[in-house]
Amino acid sequence: MNNRREFLKKTGVLVVGAAVTNTESVHAKKSTEKWAMIIDLNRCTGCQSCVIACKNQSKTSAGEFNTKVLSIETGSYPAARIVYTPVQCNHCDDPPCVASCPAHATFKLTNGIVVTDWDKCRSNGACVAACPYEARHLAPQYDNKVDKCDFCHNRLEKNLQPACVESCPSKARVFGDLHNPQEEFAVYLENKKVIVRKPGKNTGPQVHYVPSFHAQEGVL
Amino acid sequence: MKVKQAKTDSTSRRTFLKGAAVATAGIAGWSGKKSESQAQTTWKNPRGFQQAALSQLDEGVRVTHSVCLGCNARCGNRIVVRDGKLETISGNPYNPYNSFAEPIEYSTPVSKTLSLPSPVCGKAIDAGNYVYNPYRILKPLKRAGKRGEGKFEPIEWDQLIKEITHGGKLFAHLGEHQEIEGLKDLDNDTPIDPDDPGLGPERNGFVLMTGRLQTGRKGFIDRFVKASMGSVNRIGHTDICGLGFRMGNYAFTDKKQVELKADPWGAEYILVFGANIYEALQPGVNTYGAAVAKRSSEGKVKFAIVDPRAQNASTHAEDWIPVKPGQDGAFAMGMMRWMIENKAYNKEYLMAPNLEAVKAKEYSCYVNATHLVIDDPQHPHNGKFLRLSDLIASSDDKAKDTFIVLSAKDGNPVAYDRIDAAVLDRATTVIDSSGTSIKVKTSFRIMKEGVMEHGMDDYATFADVPRATIEKIARDFSSHGRKAAVCQYHGAGNYVSGTYAAYAIAALNAMVGSVEGKGGYMTSGGAAAKWDRGIYDLKNFPDKRKAKGVKISREKAAYEKSTEYARKKAETGSGYPSRRPWFKFTKGGLSVESMSGIDQQYPYKCKILFTYFYNPVYSTPGGYRYQETLKSTETLPLHVSIDTGINESNLYADYIVPDVTYLEGHYGWLSPHAPALRFTGLRTPALEPLTGKTADGRSFCLETFLIDLAKALQLPGFGDKAIPGKNGTFYALNRAEDFYLRGFANIAENAGTPEASAEEQQFVEQNYLVSKFQDSITKREWKKTCYLLARGGFFKRYEDVFDGQKFKRAVKRALLYNEDLATTTNTLSGKRFHGSLKYLPPMDSADNIIDEIDREYPFYVITHKMNVHTQSRTSVHRWAMEIFPENFVVINEMDAKSLGVKTGEKVRLVSRSNQSGITGKAQISKLVRPGCLGISFHYGHTQLGAAPLQVTGGNNVFLGGKDVMEGNFMVPDKKLGAGVNPNMVTRLDDNLANTPMVDLVGGIPDFSSTKVRVVRV
Repeated sequence: MNNRREFLKKTGVLVVGAAVTNTESVHAKKSTEKWAMIIDLNRCTGCQSCVIACKNQSKTSAGEFNTKVLSIETGSYPAARIVYTPVQCNHCDDPPCVASCPAHATFKLTNGIVVTDWDKCRSNGACVAACPYEARHLAPQYDNKVDKCDFCHNRLEKNLQPACVESCPSKARVFGDLHNPQEEFAVYLENKKVIVRKPGKNTGPQVHYVPSFHAQEGVL
Repeated sequence: MKVKQAKTDSTSRRTFLKGAAVATAGIAGWSGKKSESQAQTTWKNPRGFQQAALSQLDEGVRVTHSVCLGCNARCGNRIVVRDGKLETISGNPYNPYNSFAEPIEYSTPVSKTLSLPSPVCGKAIDAGNYVYNPYRILKPLKRAGKRGEGKFEPIEWDQLIKEITHGGKLFAHLGEHQEIEGLKDLDNDTPIDPDDPGLGPERNGFVLMTGRLQTGRKGFIDRFVKASMGSVNRIGHTDICGLGFRMGNYAFTDKKQVELKADPWGAEYILVFGANIYEALQPGVNTYGAAVAKRSSEGKVKFAIVDPRAQNASTHAEDWIPVKPGQDGAFAMGMMRWMIENKAYNKEYLMAPNLEAVKAKEYSCYVNATHLVIDDPQHPHNGKFLRLSDLIASSDDKAKDTFIVLSAKDGNPVAYDRIDAAVLDRATTVIDSSGTSIKVKTSFRIMKEGVMEHGMDDYATFADVPRATIEKIARDFSSHGRKAAVCQYHGAGNYVSGTYAAYAIAALNAMVGSVEGKGGYMTSGGAAAKWDRGIYDLKNFPDKRKAKGVKISREKAAYEKSTEYARKKAETGSGYPSRRPWFKFTKGGLSVESMSGIDQQYPYKCKILFTYFYNPVYSTPGGYRYQETLKSTETLPLHVSIDTGINESNLYADYIVPDVTYLEGHYGWLSPHAPALRFTGLRTPALEPLTGKTADGRSFCLETFLIDLAKALQLPGFGDKAIPGKNGTFYALNRAEDFYLRGFANIAENAGTPEASAEEQQFVEQNYLVSKFQDSITKREWKKTCYLLARGGFFKRYEDVFDGQKFKRAVKRALLYNEDLATTTNTLSGKRFHGSLKYLPPMDSADNIIDEIDREYPFYVITHKMNVHTQSRTSVHRWAMEIFPENFVVINEMDAKSLGVKTGEKVRLVSRSNQSGITGKAQISKLVRPGCLGISFHYGHTQLGAAPLQVTGGNNVFLGGKDVMEGNFMVPDKKLGAGVNPNMVTRLDDNLANTPMVDLVGGIPDFSSTKVRVVRV
């Protein structure tokens, strides 16, 4: 995948709207944005800054996380190394969680962000089970409502980056608008070969990964 | 709660911030468009419900640019506070530490920066949990039971000052009837030891030991201890921080600098020795690790890790070389040997005998490889450099400073500064003007002889890595020209014999010519401006005392001048051994030998100990030994701790004075540890202190305590006329800000900063708590200071410190032979130290090789820091503890198999010195060397909220109030005590009063030589 057009095609961005039918009724107006994240494993140091920034931002329940950093030891001693994979909600183009919720509490905004309405959430956990990425959890501190990453929608509103993106010291998380890519996000779209978690699930994740060029095992 | 997503009303925002939002367009960095989804819909957003952290762009917040102390790397912080409560912390975009050394232009108005992204690491963001730790103490405490029994009661401030000043029978009510001397009793010039006046006056019986000290408060404490009380004993903790690599650099740079590292922004190849670049280090992962990771992702730098533990940086490393603990020096010596034998060194560079000779080729530092050394036992200057004054009778001082080299043209001796190239590798004889011959060798020759003492296979055996690996790394290292450098830190040399390990590692950089060059092995550019002089003289004052005598650590002191030496010399003819080692050739900061000195009352008794953010029982390898020291009221009559909580060490204190956290105080001016960078960050409070207050409204903290003591003692340097101004006026020092604001004013003046614009002055005055104290300085000074405060300091750019490839702040000469080291005597053996590279295995003070004498203990314990923690004080970082609730004993998978241990099972580790051992949970890994057990610090606390205490009236003492109290008992949180502390099993030195082991050159504590048996529990 070497150019942006192909990237957009493959990720389904060129067919805007197709994946947001579930939420169309609640949207008065279509967004012109389509948010996505690219995580470069060749930059991720496993430092957990994003995880703590997310805790501070979202005040998730104790022991629950809207983003975390998975790790795996690869190779054999002494040619061994650790490989990190930061994970979170993939804001899928075809999100199984949305289809699974009997209360229609979770839906996709036209800007691509999958959100959960805590007025409608009945805490039945269907979406938690439906998510192939274990990105959702029932939040004990908040009446067991379902919590997950929303790309810091509240910060995007203020023209601020998601907390995990801002706090990443090595710029492993590259965030931007697929419809109007700028700066490093545009460079990554142009030049980097990216993959997604569990491609066999065909969910159309909008969190993409540049795999480690040091290791076979890459994205967990 | 309904959260209306459309609500980002900018009309009600402060004018300033409105300006900020508008002004962001076009500034480098984040350029995402304003989201249009705000017009879409409303739903009940979890973030509203969760009260998501506010940002610097929200209404009603205060924003302070300051400096972090989540760890001592000290990145820039942008701190957001609303209604007095911390909301969030991000980075300071002006600070090179938060910006890949490419910060925004310094003159950028602050209003244009607030919307810019800027990273900080998790330790910084977790700070709120440190500030609002329910186990924080807010009121002064006095011991209400035996030392260490865990019983305290509040004491009124004025009474606290009185008791520490005047002493007396302070604990008679507990049945302790001895008369305790107060500071007043030590405020006199009687010799502390009538038999040895050289040890200094009674004043030295007052010792103040500092843990996490910072420039700023260091100036304040030194003023009190040294200049006012007149004691030499303000002792730092450089030793447990990492003295090993510093000693190597100290020898290498002729004692000029200790903080050298590979330039992460310019190097092409970095060889990491025991530097935990993705988890710890100074600068930390937010700076150094980030630079290496980003540049390695772009193919601009490669690196290899020499460490028994693969570290998190293994994720991007080219190679991991699992060296045997304590054998980094063997690996480096093997590389040196390979480079010498394969002529893979920069010969032309090493042959240049002076600075001018290398400057033309864009080097900033030369190496003394060609300088001749007298190697002649008959000569009075044996072991010293040959100088012009050794060859010709001359009273000229210059002759005494003029080294001699052998001309590369004819081999004749010549002054080092007269030629461009000299003989590198030779032993010969020169004749002085009286016709006497003197045997000499070049420094390179002496270095080489040390390297050649062992063969490649020997070094491979010592390091326990394949010979081919040493050769491969030596080849890689020497094939990047001047853009290859070492990054050595805590692991490289933080053990007995570590001085020589770290010296060999430092010397690798000399071989390739990368010392002090861009992309090479560099020192920091240092502070950008002086704080202690200029408009106000913060160092001198009328009746200032000059501290005299020997420190209780014996650092930088000559044993040969002591009465003990003279007496022993008279008795036995030798004068050696001393009772405990003395450390003439050390960088200093020897907390371990200070504690051992206090324990042994050597060379004199410590009568009053103050400890500041210092937890030796927890943080020192073998610190458990000091429980005995601190427990004894005979050994240590009075112990006062200044801290934010009750830890494993001040559990034994007589008094605990509550201090503020770095978000409420710890004013300071912080310079970088980073290669090349040159700046002064300013730390000012973002939060009002949570501690109690004196009758006149000053918050309890370090400064209030020392000021009030100084006044009660009538010491010079404090009070109404304490600070001399340039204009001849004397100014007051009655509160912390009287000191620090004048330091800021000096920095602003010396840096030549402009006056802040009206807008920026308003920004500071509306946002910064320090503004309340602006009347400490003049209006003009305040305006200039506002310019600094608004930006969080004064920052130079990376490029500013270079002139082409040359580094403007360079150390000018690096040493392959150090005559000061060579002419220093080991005060236990009476033998001189070697002045150049030498392989030495880790040995105890009686020269026993530990690996051999502890054979029945097959596993080495190795330690490290974690990315989300600082050494001892982050167990209250709630989010870090959610991610990693405990630490583990990490065992190589092959060892685990033979031991029959699985992940999660408990194992007990038993050392020679701790037979009851420590117990932790096993974790099986392939990222630790077989025969090694990796254990992180930070866990295994037995205090700081992890165990119950009896505190009368604790409701008013602990920040958590009744939430953490039941009657007079503090209720612990067991989660805070999770995991295991490796320092509790450290080997002690049974030849030296069973105190923790130290390197006899520098006083380096030992973090790598402890061996244990593993017992399944």
